[in-house]
Amino acid sequence: MTEPHDSLILHFIVRAFMVPFIIVFGIYVLVHGEASPGGGFQAGAIVAAAFVLARLTLGREHAVNRFPTRVLIWTASLGMAVYLLAGVVPLFFGANFLDYSQLPVGWFNNIATHDETLRARGIFIVEFGVFLAVLGTLGILYDYLTERYLDD
Amino acid sequence: MRWLTLAFLISFQALFIYVSLDLPDRADPNAPANVHLSPEFVEQGEKEIEIPNLVTAVQADFRSYDTLGETLVIFTAGLCVLLVLMRGSRTDDRAP
Repeated sequence: MTEPHDSLILHFIVRAFMVPFIIVFGIYVLVHGEASPGGGFQAGAIVAAAFVLARLTLGREHAVNRFPTRVLIWTASLGMAVYLLAGVVPLFFGANFLDYSQLPVGWFNNIATHDETLRARGIFIVEFGVFLAVLGTLGILYDYLTERYLDD
Repeated sequence: MRWLTLAFLISFQALFIYVSLDLPDRADPNAPANVHLSPEFVEQGEKEIEIPNLVTAVQADFRSYDTLGETLVIFTAGLCVLLVLMRGSRTDDRAP
């Protein structure tokens, strides 16, 4: 793999425009997954693309030290845990595995801007878990396959 | 041998083309694939979940086991890469 380049223009474009906009677009794809094409897998891939771009161009100081590999491992594990909890928690409320209609998230309608059914809330929780899992996994793949930033 | 393979492939292709003539048209509402579960998904999705994107509803609610499995596959792939390529601190000491 090539080393990160020292060009000031490249750093400015990537840090000021590309990475922030890619991450914002990824989060847009995540939260609009209920109303438009998108969802957890796609949003995770987009945000992971921003991470990989930062690692390719900015180098260790600006990209890796802020989001090291062990944080990515924790991110992937946390996403998987969110999904599994969304499946296991309804079991304690007398419902089936992954039955979102019994999730204890009804209080969220009090602080949200509009009401949604519990199953829609559960869908968003699950999509968020998928988002974290895919994001962390793609970051792990890049970091371990290039092996450039591993000596923590 | 080569001609035998060619004849076998041509006959197999002819069989496929002959069978594909009986397949239903695309987006045929009376096709067997569209009369079993899809109407229930569409009706329940509109009535009980109330989100505009039915694809997300089917993917994350009705077929949630499937999505859980897909996510586990991706996560396991990442963990396998991590385990294979991880720089071991313990195995280096007792290397032959």
